[in-house]
Amino acid sequence: MAVDVLSVKGGLLLLPEMVLLTGILALFFITNLGDAKIRIPLTRLRIPALLGGNRFKWNSDPRIPGVVTIFTLIFAIGMLLQSLGDDCADIMQGFCSETTILTTTGNNPVHLMKLDSFSRLFELMFFLTLLLVSAASINRLQADSNPSNDDLEQLLDNRRQVDFYLLILISGLGMTIVAMSMNLFVLFVGLELASLPIYVMVAFHKETKAGSEAGVKYFITGAISSAVGLYGMSLLYLWSGSLQLTVLEAAWSAMETPEALPLFGISLLLVGFGFKISAVPFHFVAPDAYAGASSPVAALLATASKTLGFIGLMRILMIITLPETGDTAVWMFAFGILSVVTMTWGNLAALGSENPKRMLAYSSVAHAGYMMAALVAVAAWRSGSFAETNNNGIMAAELIVGAVIFHLFVLISFKIGAFMVISHLETESDVKDMSSLHGLAKREPIIATSMFVFMLALAGVPPLAGFMSKFLMVTGIVQVASADVLVNTNVDLVPTILGMHWTFFLAIAIFINSAISLYYYLRIGVLMFFEESSTRLPLPKVSTLRFVIFVCAIGTIFFGISSDWLVDSVTNAASALFTDS
Amino acid sequence: MAENKTKLNDGMYVIGGLFIAISVLMFASPNMPSMENDWVTLPLIGLPILGSLLLMGFASAVPAWRKESISETIKYASLGIALIVLIITTLMMTDILMNVHWANITFNQYMYEVEYNWINSIGAEWHVGIDGLSMPMVWLTALLVPITIITTWNEKKPWYYHPLLILMGGCLIGVFVSLDFFMFYVFWELTLVPMFFLILNWGGKERKYAAQKFFIYTFTASILMLLGIITLYLLQDPSTANASITGRTFDMHDMIQNAQEQVILGNIWLGAGVQKLLFVLFMAGFLVKLPVVPFHTWLPDAHVQAPTGGSMLLAGVMLKMGAYGMFRIPISMFPHALVEFQMALMIIGMISLFYGAWVCLGQTNLKRMVAYSSVSHMGIILLGIASLQPLGFAGAIFMMFAHGLISPMLFGVAGAFKHHYHTLEIGSMRGMAKHSPWLAGNMMFSWMASLGLPLLAGFVAEVAVLVALWFEFGWWVIIPGITLAITAAYYLWSMQRTIFEGGEKTEPPKSLGDEKPRDIALSENIGLISLAILIVIFGIFPFIFFEMISGYSSELIKQMLMDEIIGRW
Repeated sequence: MAVDVLSVKGGLLLLPEMVLLTGILALFFITNLGDAKIRIPLTRLRIPALLGGNRFKWNSDPRIPGVVTIFTLIFAIGMLLQSLGDDCADIMQGFCSETTILTTTGNNPVHLMKLDSFSRLFELMFFLTLLLVSAASINRLQADSNPSNDDLEQLLDNRRQVDFYLLILISGLGMTIVAMSMNLFVLFVGLELASLPIYVMVAFHKETKAGSEAGVKYFITGAISSAVGLYGMSLLYLWSGSLQLTVLEAAWSAMETPEALPLFGISLLLVGFGFKISAVPFHFVAPDAYAGASSPVAALLATASKTLGFIGLMRILMIITLPETGDTAVWMFAFGILSVVTMTWGNLAALGSENPKRMLAYSSVAHAGYMMAALVAVAAWRSGSFAETNNNGIMAAELIVGAVIFHLFVLISFKIGAFMVISHLETESDVKDMSSLHGLAKREPIIATSMFVFMLALAGVPPLAGFMSKFLMVTGIVQVASADVLVNTNVDLVPTILGMHWTFFLAIAIFINSAISLYYYLRIGVLMFFEESSTRLPLPKVSTLRFVIFVCAIGTIFFGISSDWLVDSVTNAASALFTDS
Repeated sequence: MAENKTKLNDGMYVIGGLFIAISVLMFASPNMPSMENDWVTLPLIGLPILGSLLLMGFASAVPAWRKESISETIKYASLGIALIVLIITTLMMTDILMNVHWANITFNQYMYEVEYNWINSIGAEWHVGIDGLSMPMVWLTALLVPITIITTWNEKKPWYYHPLLILMGGCLIGVFVSLDFFMFYVFWELTLVPMFFLILNWGGKERKYAAQKFFIYTFTASILMLLGIITLYLLQDPSTANASITGRTFDMHDMIQNAQEQVILGNIWLGAGVQKLLFVLFMAGFLVKLPVVPFHTWLPDAHVQAPTGGSMLLAGVMLKMGAYGMFRIPISMFPHALVEFQMALMIIGMISLFYGAWVCLGQTNLKRMVAYSSVSHMGIILLGIASLQPLGFAGAIFMMFAHGLISPMLFGVAGAFKHHYHTLEIGSMRGMAKHSPWLAGNMMFSWMASLGLPLLAGFVAEVAVLVALWFEFGWWVIIPGITLAITAAYYLWSMQRTIFEGGEKTEPPKSLGDEKPRDIALSENIGLISLAILIVIFGIFPFIFFEMISGYSSELIKQMLMDEIIGRW
């Protein structure tokens, strides 16, 4: 089904985004309502102007913006599920019929966005992430509900609340656009709309030098990498004359031998996304940014921002550059090596880091490596060096991409959870090194247990959610790698191993790296349970933050032992990605 | 502020959350099956795991200054749960619960078998069943948990300690009854968590190092096994009959059946090379767990640092997970590879057996000596497997069971010694028999049992394995023979130095300071003596389990290995 973007139907399809826009406007107005009055000239009549003046009592609470944001996001999720109900065959299975949104200026319709299981699932992920982050931020940003009017600092703190939540909602809008985009231009606009607020949010922690430094570093690197990516897009446009993914795909498969121009364009584009997912040559800024930003923002960086990069990678690599037959996908070897370097570097650096936020940052680099390895395996399958038996090929590719999406989804539970625990520690004092975690179990047994659950999930210990995602990825990789071996059953041990496709060693690299990573994840547990802390007092009670931590812990366990519908949804999303539009 | 009004403790949140989560899972799941005739899922696995989580949640909800007052309640509740599990497993051996005739079941046929859908999309099921191999192990686990609870009744922080023990028991039973690879792996890894905490929280001075070494060694080995599981999973033919997205299942029963069909047709299931690859991957996981000599170094550290209860369960049941896994997966599924690797297994077994015993001679630490003797005895299990004889298999399985009775007693005694004399040095005291007659008696009995005294359980297993070895390898049997002599030597030597020597002029160890040497407490005595009685019973009447075991192993050989073995001649 194709719908024009300016029609009523198009507007209805974009209801969640409309809700976000409304929320942004509401944030503007609600926080600016006041008792200012206008005198009508020449009379004594004063009518309330509503905007300006002293704020009313009900909207002077500094937590109002956060509450508005939360309700907006909940409403947006509701609208999303509602629109799922409209054109989705089965809500529980997450299977939606496709709708292409296009614009018909001129004769050729231009595909802008596509609504399908893939984009809907990612929208859901983004909304959930933002919901958790904004819920956790309510008690985290400095605010005073009874400011004395002459204290400018306090007043500014309260005004800053609005800025923060505005940034959250605007970046949410950008993220949903990225999830739906079928056009490089729309993709870029969405990416920038999502990224610019995030740059500001990283620097939002302005009380510390580290925060400002992190913001500037992150902004400069991010700006340069998106400029490079933009240049790549322009080269692609120069080559094919279109920015639509479908047209680019057709042009790519029509290409007989690899041409320099599109290859160069694609590799520049990969630089831009490589920064977003913090793959190895571009990962240097990640630890600084995570450590400098406040923990909820760092959680956003580690999940939503990374997901943005992976959507881009999937769109570019899986749609454009995967030839149906024939040539190998040219980026495969480089990407395979990069993935191994990324995961190893991330894990080794995490082994040595003493700051828990830096450690989580490096662990997030390592996780990016795992997911990159999975994408390489898809390319290996499509490169055509395998006999496709039993029509397994498409199943394998869907399985792998589905596993990556699954991982991105469950990261919401345990990565955010881990950052929230650190955020909870920050309510007491700054978290500079591991000593803040010492003896947490004696002070806060449940928080410490949740943190341990998050760490085990990150390490991939069953039956937690992290295990399921790693399992699905490795299953996909091994399935692709062992396709040849399946055919010849009567070879000996060594030829069997040598007969495996080289992507099999990516699976082994993932295993070895999991074993390495176990050490630093376990170390957190050891520190929390068996080190003595200087105090036995519990942490300050921060109700929403604790609630978020509990929700994350329950999600981590739940998606590990009962991940049926999620696996179905991600597989549908993956097959929607591969469906030609 | 809302958060100030409600002062509900987080622990109550967790208990409530657990209840809600379980009930939602129960009722929201559209095809929740009925649990009739299911004597495994809830009674043996669900009860200990959920029970311990509830007890620990309850304990964490109680403020620190009141924890002492609830400790007795929690101890008795844990003991009660453990005893319920023991009673149910004991009934399972008889034909009271269901009409079971253990002697009549053939290979790959299971009693109390139930199957539920779990994660449909990848084909993982909740599939449990018990056969002649798992029944002794399940019963052993169910028996050791209450005995461990009684023996270490007075451990520090009982409100977490005793629930952890029953959690451990539940996870271990989960390993022994699961007939689905996914479920098997989940429980396999889950057992690490309570043991990790037991070592870390109640262990000795070097406990952090030991616990992390233990966790990393076994976790690394088991991810090799996971690679094997995934490869095996993918090597099945996908069929549309399965609802999973890959068209495959994790069902062990089906896989063994496929292997069996190929054996009957005279083929090699999956081909020789793949069988070898899988055999190596699985064995890597199991050999580290067992452990055998190049990979054994985690064991002495873990044992020396672990608390008494932890090492009782570790040596008693956790090591057997390795041997159990070998029988359940590589031996039942890859007979061709097993025959190919027979000599390798035999040599590894011999080295383990001999090296373990040899190192024992030089140990001065009591627990370290007992740990190395465990390595040595695990070598006997491997030799039993390598013999490829029905008697050898049966001997190996019975060794798993007998060592599961003897080694907890060894560690229980060593722990009691440490508890009352504050040292583990073997030569540090003389003439314990005078000061602590009960401890000395228990110690002597356990050492006698471990060195293989006739009429005790260990002897039966050793004789069976040695006879099978003689049939298979001839004069190679001399090496185990010499090793048994070494075993006797190190035990007798330590016995002389610790228990008897000194006569009237006994000297208590210096670590005791001014304290007077005491004898062991009643609770310790009950635990240890009940183990001793069982060791005698199973030494004199081994057929209680031996029939079940030899039925299993002869069926295994007949169904899977006969062609391979005959083909070799």
